[in-house]
Amino acid sequence: MKCYICKEQGKDIDAVAICIVCGMGICMEHLVREETELWEGGYPFPAKKLKKTIPRIVCVICHEAMEE
Amino acid sequence: MTDLVRRSLAELVGTFILVFFGPGAAAITLMIASGAAKPNEFNIGIGALGGLGDWLAIGLAFAFAITAAIYAVGKISGCHINPAVTIALWATKRFPTNEVLPYILAQLVGAALGSLAFAAAAGMDAVTIGGLGATAPFPGISYGQAMLAEIIGTFLLMFVIMGIAVDSRAPQQFAGLIIGLTVGGIIITIGNISGSSLNPARTFGPYLGDFLLGGINLWSFFPIYVIGPIVGAVLAAFLYDYLAKE
Repeated sequence: MKCYICKEQGKDIDAVAICIVCGMGICMEHLVREETELWEGGYPFPAKKLKKTIPRIVCVICHEAMEE
Repeated sequence: MTDLVRRSLAELVGTFILVFFGPGAAAITLMIASGAAKPNEFNIGIGALGGLGDWLAIGLAFAFAITAAIYAVGKISGCHINPAVTIALWATKRFPTNEVLPYILAQLVGAALGSLAFAAAAGMDAVTIGGLGATAPFPGISYGQAMLAEIIGTFLLMFVIMGIAVDSRAPQQFAGLIIGLTVGGIIITIGNISGSSLNPARTFGPYLGDFLLGGINLWSFFPIYVIGPIVGAVLAAFLYDYLAKE
């Protein structure tokens, strides 16, 4: 699979990931990888943040939209 | 601020919400009904205007306040807002021993502040007429009968908490609503028997407020609202564990 954004720009670059939001194939240049905190539990116990985070990959377009 | 202090503060706020809006509704009902003809001696004012509908209104005030508190601070402290719940979770080894006292202290302080704030907002009639929504056995109801009602009422409350919140198989996100409505339902039935406290802190707040502000002294009834809820909650927690084990 090729990077969708690169293809739109006339380039032919292999995709290395898929955006978890829109499903677009993306290359290293057009992805954003963020660590997401994970909480477990809750009423009637305090919720606890897990020690490790979960990685999440989105394309730059979805990342920009979620930042707004 | 340590994690325990922060969570205790959340318990304080949750119990404040419960006592301001729950017993507050009972006090307001008595103030509205003040001077109205009471159909019989069993009726002290709650029910003078709308019969069991008065208790439904009070029960819903509790239900909404509890639901709001659970969704607001449930993730932070667990929102027990009830020493009987804290003790039952501790007794079944779900809550650490060193956190029991801070939680109960926070619940009692929150309840006291809730009652005092309600008196400040509603005026002295809330104390002299409404008794700040304090619980006591109703006319014709003995000490033992009131305690039995509190045991059974709190048993149901804790049994539902175990089923809808503690049990990992329970559906997610519904606990606040279901538990609030459960308390409302219990109040409709046993409100006119024992006052339907189900919670030592809920009774402590109005008792202390009445005592400090020159209202009625009801402390002789306090053991009903300490022993009854704790016995009912602990029984429910152990029974649920027995019934639900694989």
